[in-house]
Amino acid sequence: MQINYSSKTLKSNPIWYKLKQNKMTWVGIIILALIVLFSVIVPLFSPFDPNKIDLVNKFQPPSSQHWFGTDEVGRDIFTRILYGARLSLGVGILIIVIAAAIGIVIGTISGYIGGIVDTIIMRFVDMILAFPNLILAMALAAVLGPNLQNAMIAIAIVKIPVYIRLARGEAMLLKEKLFVKSAETFGINKGLIIIKHIIPNAISPVIIQATLDVGDTILLIATLGFLGLGAQPPTPEWGAMISIGWTYLLTYWWYPVFPGLFLFLSSGALNLIGDGIRDVLDPKSAR
Amino acid sequence: MIQMIVKRLGLILFVVFGVTLVTFFMSHVIPGDPASLIAGQRASEETLQSIRQQLGLDQPVWIQYFHYLGDLLTGDLGTSIRTQRPVLDELITFFPATIELAIAAFAIAIVLGIPLGILAALKKNSIWDNLSRVFSISGVSIPVFFSGLIVILIFYGKLGWLPSNGRIALDINPPTHITGFYILDSIFTGDMVALKSSLQHLILPALVLSYAQLAVITRQVRASMLEVMSQEYIRTAVANGIKGRLLIISYALKNALIPTVTVIGVAFGSLLGGAVVTETIFGWPGMGKFVVDSISYLDFPAMMGFTIIISIGYVLINLIVDIIYGLLNPQMKQ
Repeated sequence: MQINYSSKTLKSNPIWYKLKQNKMTWVGIIILALIVLFSVIVPLFSPFDPNKIDLVNKFQPPSSQHWFGTDEVGRDIFTRILYGARLSLGVGILIIVIAAAIGIVIGTISGYIGGIVDTIIMRFVDMILAFPNLILAMALAAVLGPNLQNAMIAIAIVKIPVYIRLARGEAMLLKEKLFVKSAETFGINKGLIIIKHIIPNAISPVIIQATLDVGDTILLIATLGFLGLGAQPPTPEWGAMISIGWTYLLTYWWYPVFPGLFLFLSSGALNLIGDGIRDVLDPKSAR
Repeated sequence: MIQMIVKRLGLILFVVFGVTLVTFFMSHVIPGDPASLIAGQRASEETLQSIRQQLGLDQPVWIQYFHYLGDLLTGDLGTSIRTQRPVLDELITFFPATIELAIAAFAIAIVLGIPLGILAALKKNSIWDNLSRVFSISGVSIPVFFSGLIVILIFYGKLGWLPSNGRIALDINPPTHITGFYILDSIFTGDMVALKSSLQHLILPALVLSYAQLAVITRQVRASMLEVMSQEYIRTAVANGIKGRLLIISYALKNALIPTVTVIGVAFGSLLGGAVVTETIFGWPGMGKFVVDSISYLDFPAMMGFTIIISIGYVLINLIVDIIYGLLNPQMKQ
């Protein structure tokens, strides 16, 4: 037991070491941590309500009181952006968790059972992957009706196939392994084998792919919001804020610019982290 | 090769069937009623009924679907609820604008992306390499509506150098319609005024649209250049005294481009997605703007027509990419 444990730490050490070496990854981690921290503690330091209308103070430029200025009904943009961070990051992670969970279940079933089930599922996956992501998400969100919940469903549907494919590949390798074969010899039912043996062993690549996907998902939510297909005003969603702020771009530049900047910083931070993880795990792309 | 082409063309049929099936049925579970959107809030029930009848909305969903599929086979994508014109005609009208923008963006991405990638690979870990890394990470992280906003604010708002809206200045007549591409048409007709104005209008949207793909291509070229440069045949070539441009272009780049071609195919797909947003923010009268305008009218024929055309285009582009891939890579020739 003891030996096993220490050999495991030795094996995982280089990964830690490489991740520590990669400065850009740390820039990403720090930016993301700051955004998360501020969005959590925003009620403690901001005296403003994200939704309270204050027409007297509309379109105030950035100042010591309103750091990022105010919008067309006098709401504090800085406060709204931080509440928006809760929404964007929360929804982004939620969508990926749902998509990955559904993907791994369907994918392992497809890969383990094989045959006609596998063929049907994979044709369906090919079909969804034959679309540009954004366009399919747009079409689905539009037909479901424009609101945040439907936008989430649309993005999840677009994201699931990647996880199905990944989990299926893993399941196909695993089903030839001795421990699975012996479980089959004992007559354990297929569902139980999938739950007990296939899923736990197929999960790590899925989790890695999921971390890489969060940044892109946040962009998709904001894009749908920007096009009027996601969260609706007055929800402080970044895409929706930029969409309204756009109208005032040339007169009140701060309105669309700051939400856009935070969107860019969050997805940039997530991509830096993803890039770092990929570098560590894939020796081919190492610097 | 032939087998692959036939298979892929089959995939198009399958994709069109699948997407119509999914979107069509999904579109009928939503609560919105297109008839009341056309007739307005105060329309009487009889008016609404007659509109529904006219659009076939009063029939069961599956009958509506079969009608739609039947029409689709004859190239009829239905009538746009918003404009009351055939969707296919609308899309054909807007098609050249989208393609002109996409090709311009694509050209920028390739022309800048390949040299930048080579530079980053040859000067690995230098300041250039790090700059190219920051540049590409921001390229894939920046939404087009934010980069668009910044360039409009600077080049239109502050400096006043470039226009931010439309394909050509309002007081200039578009060139005579030959191909529908303003740049080509104004060259063909020798209309220099129109050429200058349409080029000016093209610069900002094309730059904004190209950025994400530029980033992806730079990254891929860098990675495959690094891999190729470490291979033995390159070492042999260097040992034989081959160096400089000849080594990089004829020896290394040729092989490094093979994986890049695949990435370029995928890049074109996301370019089409990005075009929807880019057209919306720059008031570019293409298919993307048309479809975004249709969304608020619950104009399903327009949205589905657009989705179908784009998905066919996407599968075709990937087919072309795979053919090029096969031609570039001798191992694939069997």
